[in-house]
This record gives sequence, C-alpha cells and structure tokens, in this order.
Amino acid sequence: MPAVFKDYVKNKFGRPGPLKGLRVLEVCTLLFGPSGPSFLGEMGADVIKIELPPAGDVTRSLNPFGWLYREQGPMFMHINPNKYYMALDLHIDIAQEIFKELCAKSDIVEFNLRPAVTNRWNIGYEDIRKVNPSIIYIEKNGFGQWGRYAEEDRPSNDGAAQALSGYAWMSSFPKQPPLKQSIWICDYYGGLMGEVAVLAALHHRRKTGKGQYIEMSQSENIMRTMGWIWPYQQLTGKGAEPSGNRDQCLCPADTFLCSDNRFVALAAPGPDEFKGLCRAMGKPELAEDPRFRDHGTRLKDENAVAILKIIADWARAKTADEIEELGVRQGFSASRLHNAKDMYENPHRRERDFVKHVDDPLYGRYAEHCFPVMMSKTPPKIKWTVRPVGFDNDYIMTKILGRSRSQINELYTHGVLGKWKDMQGRRPPKEWDGKTGAILRG
Amino acid sequence: MADYKRAKWAQWADYVRSLDDPAKNFEKPEALDDLVVIDISSRSMAGCYCSSLLAELGAETIRIEPPGGDLVRTYSPHGITEKGTGFAYLQEGRNKFHITLDLEKEEGREIFKQLIGSADVLIETYPAGQMDAWGIGYDVLCQLNPRLLYASISLHGQFGPDSDRKQYDYDNVSQARSGIQYGTGEVLPEGKTFDDMPWAVPTKAGPWIAWAVSGTFAALGILAALHHRELTGEGQAIDVSTPEAYQRLQDYALHWYTDQGVIQERFSNLDTALWLYGFFPTKDGGVFLGGLRLEMWKAFVDILGKWDEWKADEWTTLAPFMKKDWQLKYQAMINPLTSQYTSQELTQKSIDYAKSGRLAPITPVVAEIVSPWKTMHDENWNDRGLFTPVQDVVYGSVVCAQAQWKATETPPRTKWVCRPAGYDNDFIYLRYFGYGPVKLAELKEKTVI
Repeated sequence: MPAVFKDYVKNKFGRPGPLKGLRVLEVCTLLFGPSGPSFLGEMGADVIKIELPPAGDVTRSLNPFGWLYREQGPMFMHINPNKYYMALDLHIDIAQEIFKELCAKSDIVEFNLRPAVTNRWNIGYEDIRKVNPSIIYIEKNGFGQWGRYAEEDRPSNDGAAQALSGYAWMSSFPKQPPLKQSIWICDYYGGLMGEVAVLAALHHRRKTGKGQYIEMSQSENIMRTMGWIWPYQQLTGKGAEPSGNRDQCLCPADTFLCSDNRFVALAAPGPDEFKGLCRAMGKPELAEDPRFRDHGTRLKDENAVAILKIIADWARAKTADEIEELGVRQGFSASRLHNAKDMYENPHRRERDFVKHVDDPLYGRYAEHCFPVMMSKTPPKIKWTVRPVGFDNDYIMTKILGRSRSQINELYTHGVLGKWKDMQGRRPPKEWDGKTGAILRG
Repeated sequence: MADYKRAKWAQWADYVRSLDDPAKNFEKPEALDDLVVIDISSRSMAGCYCSSLLAELGAETIRIEPPGGDLVRTYSPHGITEKGTGFAYLQEGRNKFHITLDLEKEEGREIFKQLIGSADVLIETYPAGQMDAWGIGYDVLCQLNPRLLYASISLHGQFGPDSDRKQYDYDNVSQARSGIQYGTGEVLPEGKTFDDMPWAVPTKAGPWIAWAVSGTFAALGILAALHHRELTGEGQAIDVSTPEAYQRLQDYALHWYTDQGVIQERFSNLDTALWLYGFFPTKDGGVFLGGLRLEMWKAFVDILGKWDEWKADEWTTLAPFMKKDWQLKYQAMINPLTSQYTSQELTQKSIDYAKSGRLAPITPVVAEIVSPWKTMHDENWNDRGLFTPVQDVVYGSVVCAQAQWKATETPPRTKWVCRPAGYDNDFIYLRYFGYGPVKLAELKEKTVI
C-alpha cells in the first residue's frame, strides 16, 4: 500500500476536497441532470440546486415498489447529496434576474431542459455570458440542441438512450429480446461524463479566462462506451450481436452457475491467468492444448465454446466462494456475484469508507455510497443528504446576494422565492423540529 | 440528410450549431494541450479509456507497452485483428503515442523514472503492490516529481482488506462484484430451472461499462486534482476500484437493504422504481416506453385508445402504479396493444400527440430498441458527428464513436485511432531523452524496448 493511503479514512476530513471554492448552480431534475453536480459537490464544490416551487424535482416522488424513507424518495436522496436547496420560479422575470446575479458569482451552471427552453427563460448562454463571460455552461438532454431529433422535440430519458444507442440490444443473450439495465446507466454515465467536459473547460478557463458552452446528449454519450462495436461493424460489414454474460473479446470471461445455486464471474485471458485457472480445475494440461494455447486462438468460436463448457462443468461442482478463493490462490480474476447485502456488509467496502453511514440533521443516520475516487491529498466526501424544497433560500439570499429580511419577504410574497408544498417528499420529514439543519434560524 | 420540418425555435438550433458543430472542432483550441500523460495500464481497458478521454482533450499521451504489445491488443470478437490489432484497441489507442519499454527490467524502470520527470499524469492498472515491488510506486515517484498526479485503477483498490489479492481488473468480474449484474436480467418463471432457461439469469451489460465508468471516474479525479495542483502545486495519488466506481451508479439498493432488509432482485424489462418505464413488444421488435409523470402515463393510455375504458380521468397519482402487482397487471394489458403497431408507428404517434393530443404538448417517451447497426447508420447521429470516420495513416478510414459532447471552445476530438506497438519509439525517445538510432538499437538489442 502506498504510504499516502495509510490512515486515509481516519484523516479524511483533515483536508478539503479538490474543488473547494468553486460554486455550481444546477437547474436540473430527475437523474441525468443532478447526478453530475453531486459529483462536484462530493469533491468539495458548493452546489446550489434550484427547483421550481413548490413541487420541485419530480424525483422526490419516485420510489421502489412503494418504499419511501421518512417520506422521501430514496433515489432523490442518493442522487442529490451535499447541495444547498433553493426554490426560485424561473418563469418570473425577477427570478430570472436573481438567477443571473447568482451566475455572475458562480463558476459553473448546469441544466437539463428541453432544447431552447433556457433561451425562452432569458437565461440562455448568451444572456448569462453577458453577466459572466467566464461561466462554464452545460446543457444535458436527450438529443442535444440541434439536429432532427432535437428539433422534433422528442422527449427522452435513460431507457430511451439505452434503446436508441444499441446498448440494450448488446446486453441480452443471443436470440433473446433486448434487455434493459436495472440501473439508469445513461443518466448516471451522462452525468459523469458531463463533469469531465466541465472540469476540462475549467482548466482551459484558468489558462485563457474564457468560459464555454457545452451540450450533451445522453444517447450520444453512451455510444462512446461501446468501443469495438463500431469498427467491427464498419470493417466486417456485419452487425454486432449480443453474447449474454460471455465477453466476446476475452476468453475465458463469463459468468457461471455454481453448486450452491449462486453465480461466479471469472476472467483469465492472460497466459499466467489461464494456466492458473487450468491448475485450479485440476487440468494443467489444458494450458498446452493447441486449441487454447494463446489468447487469439482461444477466441476462435469453436475453441471458446469448448473451453467455456469445460469451465461451466467444473464450476457447477464448486461453490461460488470456492471459485473466488481459487482465483486468489491461483492468480486469476474471479468474484461471486455480489448483491445489496454484500454492498452493505462486505468489510472491504466498509474499511475503504466507500460504504458508510451519513449522519444527517433532517433524515438521521442512513447507509450510503461515498465518492469512488480516493484522493490522497484532497479526499472527496459525502456530508449531508437532501433538503425540503426551498429549504436554504434565506441562507443563499443573505450570504451570497446580501438581501435583507424584508427584501426576502417581498420575494416570497410575489412568488419569486417559494417553499415546499405540503406533500410527500417536498415538506420536511414528520419528525423535524422546525429548526435542526436550517442554516439561518430566526 | 433528409429534410425534416424545422422547429419553431430553429433559429436557436442554428445558432448553437454555428458555435459547436463538431465539423469545426479542429479550428478550436484544446483544453489539455499543456499536459503530458503516461499510460502504462495493463490488461484493463479502464486505463486506456481514461487516457483516451484526456488524449481527446489534447493531452500529449504516451502509451507504454511491454515489447510486443499489451494483452489488450488481442481483445476482439472471434479474435479478428486489423493489421495485428483487435477492434477494441482500435478505439482506445486514439491520439496516443505508442512506445515499448520493459518494466520487468531494471534498465527499463530507470528510463521510466526519467520520463516521470516530464509527466503531469500517470495511469496504471496493475494489481496493487506491483508498482511498489518494481520500485516505481507512488512513494518513489512523488519524490522525483511532487506535482505528479498518479492514478491507479484496479479491481480491489490500493488499500483495504482485499487489496492484497494479486488480480487484474476485468470488466465482467467488476460488473459481477459491483452488485449491479445481480439485479439485472430476465426473471426465472416459477417452476423453471436455469437449465430450462439459461438466459433467465443475472446478466451483465454487453459493453465494457464497468471499465468505462472507472476510467471516467479516474479522469474526473485527475481533472479535479489538476485544479488543486494548479492552485497549490501539490500532486497526489488517486485510487479507483472498478467495482466501487460502477456500484456508485447503482442507486437505492444499498439503502433499501439497510432500511428494509430487501435485496433488489431482477425485474426483467420493467423498473423496480419507475412507471411508466420499460421495454414493450411491437409488431417488428420492441420499444422503450417512458412517462414518469402522471400526465405522461395518461397521454400514453390516450394514444392506445384506452382513456375511457381504463378510466384515466380518475387517476390522481402515479404512486400505486409503481407497486409490483400493478406494474405486472398493466404490463399484461399493454403488451397486446403495443404489439399491434410497428416501433416506427408508435414513435410517430408520440411525436404527433405532442402537437395535437388531448394533453399536448405532454407526450410519453417512445423509443425504438435498435441494433447498433441501425444506430451507426442513423442520419441524426451521423449529422451530429458521432460516427465520422477517422482517417488514420496506418489503419485507413476507421469509424470511432466521438463527439460525445459538443463545445464552443474545447471539444474533444479524435486525430488518429491507434498505432502499432512501439510505432513512436523513434520520435518519443528522441523528444524526451535525445536517444538516436544508435542508442535505440542498443536498447532493442537488450530487449528493453
């Protein structure tokens, strides 16, 4: 272990995150939009989430099979940590002016609205650039701001991107219908890549003083991950087809059913790894078999089918944990399929502080994932979860914009600023005492 | 591109396009062209993907392989290669200089250490401990170059109880360990076995998504660390474990288990937490249908002509529809109806409904589930620069997914797709060490390069 990671977890709060001092505004709902700013927030940026009062982000309503956590939508909690919550009705011109004032004092602003909506609200890139020429401005949606699909005003979301990119097509078993992922991969991955664009722009800004406008389509973005499929199709003239759990570019690499009715995934494409696997199977001679002698040869269809059958028969007589253990001993990669219980109980995740409990003033103690990049000098961290709609209005208006109590009250009167609707997920949890967690307490 | 009816806001579309059309990318500056990135990743495409992202943004990226090339060059369906390189690496060798250097040899490591003096970023994917064993771990390299950003991407991370397992990071193993594969796939019907239906099992995503996600998180960490370094001068070590990176994109399963004891199980093509949200059959394949607001779901019911029969007027909340039994009940009612249309007909119905439907402009999301062949030939994506072939001096015209985002100032771009192993030895060793033909021949003789 590099010495810099000794006591990493213990000293995590001894240093700020790498993005300390940056201010980010988001006008985003659902998952694709808000996920990215959360990543910046976990790395130390101050993120202000702006919602339309009084109902706010629709994700507050979503839940698996009816399960809510203290009345809140669990995915809303997961996707939106470490933010400040402001509710500003951007349909109103005074709100648009306040928004521009905030932009003038911010580094990054993020949207996921249909094309041309920001322009209609007078907060399009041109409007914001006038008040802050170095702003980094990103719009994320289904199809971008131009082109046929954008101009047809097609709505989109994660599932549509899985469908339109060919991602779902490539994720099923041969001759079975395309399969949807259980996670919203195109939302989250789009959010992640969006921040790569933003932080690269930040480096450019440091060198030149110039901001920029970025647009991202979630379908286009996921296509970037699909690698070999595109040149394969072009150079062979054939459509790529799915192969279930078998990785068609590596051999052996597949998922196998074990004697305990659990599954194990293993991969052993390297010469040393393949030898280790053959030893583990008690068949060291297979490593010398002409059908399997090197990786390129093993990948030929008939050879791949033959070796995967041999492994499958062997795996069926072992438990998944036994095979995982043999992988460690014999030097090939193998893992039992983990599930939610493993996510929580696995000591490795705990000791790395990747899985931990958040101690939140409004929502109490609950289990959450941390940011998955450990940084020796600037550890990212998760600190708090979500807030009711408009919960931090007064703090932001006072601290950042210097408004007085009476000015703020007037904005409430005119509906420019708003607070939560008396509705599940928008209002504070029932147990709330009216003060805890509020930054300004009258 | 075929004509289409322009939007009312076409002027905005034209304006944005005039600023960020990828066709003009090469007229623009590059965000990272002041950086030198060294990629010594081995066997894992996560490292190559990470360095590709930085190389697409202009970083001078030097990919170091062992003499003969890294194993990733053999990754390809059916083992097919193009001029000796598999299709996978034909995507992720992009914009990089390719040199060979044997890190197993002392002399190779000495050269490597010299190169670190010029580097801003190092990316490595060896099992934890390998770099230290070679005497080129972070603790050594940070002495040589305190500004270095040293990124490790691995199966088990650099610390924690499993980190001493000497295993390489493979996408399918990381997908399995992330917890996500477990909850994805066809449900096995009651009374059936896995032998009856070998496809009704936990199923990984086809693309190398675990590798892509960890590579992208590493790139994000590197860029954030770069921000910190520019302010303070301080470099650092970055540690990404691929299963953790991918698991971070799983949403509520961890919380659900700890609060309710529920383990999220497979739910086929529906969604445990969303309605309307799933894949449904059509006459010629299938579509994704989505409507996460009550009005969108009602609009879909209206399109199916079931507004009155299903009493959509009386629905006031989407909440009950998210429950498992309601989802299954409505899925059974919807399937025969969507099966009467082609995917294209349903897509068009949604577009038309946005203009003239009872709830217009509200309309459900309808998207045909297409093959990647169809994706690659779709005019919309081609118009937006996704599949513009790269004209490569070695490999000819090669399609690469690119222009994954558009930008007015520093968009990503692809200049070449790949190089054979060691192709740039002459140029890079001359540029960084002043090694000419005599010295290179000597190193080659000793199989150091």
